[in-house]
Amino acid sequence: MDQFSGYVRPDGQVGVRNHLLVLSATGLTGPTGRRISQALPGAVFVAMPYDGGLLGEDRDAQLCTLIGFGVNPNVGAVLMIGGNPPKLDYLAKKMSKSGKPIVSISMDECDHDAITLTERSIRAGAKLMLEISKLRRVSCPLSKLFLGLECGRSDPSSGLVSNPMLGLMADRIVDEGGKAVFGETTEWLGAEHLLSKRGATPAVEQAILDAVLDNENRAIEAGLDLTGENPGPTNIAGGLSTIEEKSLGNIAKSGSRPIQSVLKYAEAPATPGLHAMHAATYAPESVSGFTASGANLILFTTGQGNSFVNLISPTIKISANPDTEARIKEQLDFTCTDVFSGEVSLVDAAPRFLELIIDVASGTKTWGEVLGEGEEVVSRFGGSL
Amino acid sequence: MSENSRKGWDAVVLNPIDELATALRHLTAGEVVRFRVGDQPCELIMKTDVALCHKFVVRDVVAGEKLRKYGEVVAGASEPIEAGAHAHVHNIKSLRAVRK
Repeated sequence: MDQFSGYVRPDGQVGVRNHLLVLSATGLTGPTGRRISQALPGAVFVAMPYDGGLLGEDRDAQLCTLIGFGVNPNVGAVLMIGGNPPKLDYLAKKMSKSGKPIVSISMDECDHDAITLTERSIRAGAKLMLEISKLRRVSCPLSKLFLGLECGRSDPSSGLVSNPMLGLMADRIVDEGGKAVFGETTEWLGAEHLLSKRGATPAVEQAILDAVLDNENRAIEAGLDLTGENPGPTNIAGGLSTIEEKSLGNIAKSGSRPIQSVLKYAEAPATPGLHAMHAATYAPESVSGFTASGANLILFTTGQGNSFVNLISPTIKISANPDTEARIKEQLDFTCTDVFSGEVSLVDAAPRFLELIIDVASGTKTWGEVLGEGEEVVSRFGGSL
Repeated sequence: MSENSRKGWDAVVLNPIDELATALRHLTAGEVVRFRVGDQPCELIMKTDVALCHKFVVRDVVAGEKLRKYGEVVAGASEPIEAGAHAHVHNIKSLRAVRK
């Protein structure tokens, strides 16, 4: 049986990494947070740029994302900083269900002095870092993987080969009892009749159709032609002509299993299996939504090349375009140009990709990790008060 | 589509009902290209260059005709397109989310 080596968390989730997360819960402490994380080599740093005046969907999404990053199993411990104790206490309490060590320090407790916050946080963070370094990887079943399925700077090779390859992996992990999530609602447009049929219940079927209609109407109301926007200039240069064509390639990432639910941005799925997230298509926002929902590994296809990777969850970059493979070897963790050319079948190449997934889940670095790429970008839905 | 159906062919037609084929290499105007429609081998003289991964129509289409790839409608022809000619944003258009 295929297994990977991961960090088992107190709540039973499994991390493929063991990060100290330095989390600035407000934009006010962002620069201080960056300084703190730089003093703690190996820590990952996320700053939420917004805080006061958030309304409705934005407020919910920001809180859900902050909590989601904290409880993501790739995070071994959280050092959280922010403005005032009530918000930090609220977030820490929500994160504490994961059972991992969480320390929060507010500016209110430091006389709003950045140097005091820095000094206290480095001291607290160093202790957390030492503590999580005692954790060891153990053998875990593939059911503990939660895949985030993404594509960026796609071209027709994505729809032909790379996305179907992700689909095979999604099916495999779902069949093992694990989880997978795909999003990018705009790229269901033109393929929703196929996607909605896979809804596990009539309510899910309807939710998929509603999500697509919502995005199509928003695009029309904004007065834009989707062509040029999505597909964007790179997609068009690569050979994609319309959103319908792009979508039909995109949904291949989701494989063939039933869709258990349509999640809101950053919402954690309640059950194992495959889930759809009604969310932005722009990769940085989309992937952060997956990570906040609990995804511990991102599979990311590209046609023309795309250097963006997630910070909290390792991102495996895959392409099937022979020109792209020749151009950017130090970005692509996996290539299947031999499948594109027909030398090897998709099914025959799949075990090689699964092997890489298991390796990366067990600690092998991705190019993005080696190069220190990685960022979290959280969606906004409206203005602030 | 059988898995190895691309090997040795210049382009791929993903579903026998498709009007649109995808180039598996850079194709040049005037050259004879080989692809399969279902199990049927076909040949076509290219009317234009078509870059890797870009599309061409496998038969003459008229303006307004719906065009398929993956067996699904992906665009409408905005002008007549000859078999073997590049089909892209200059002559095929999305039928969705179009500005009012």
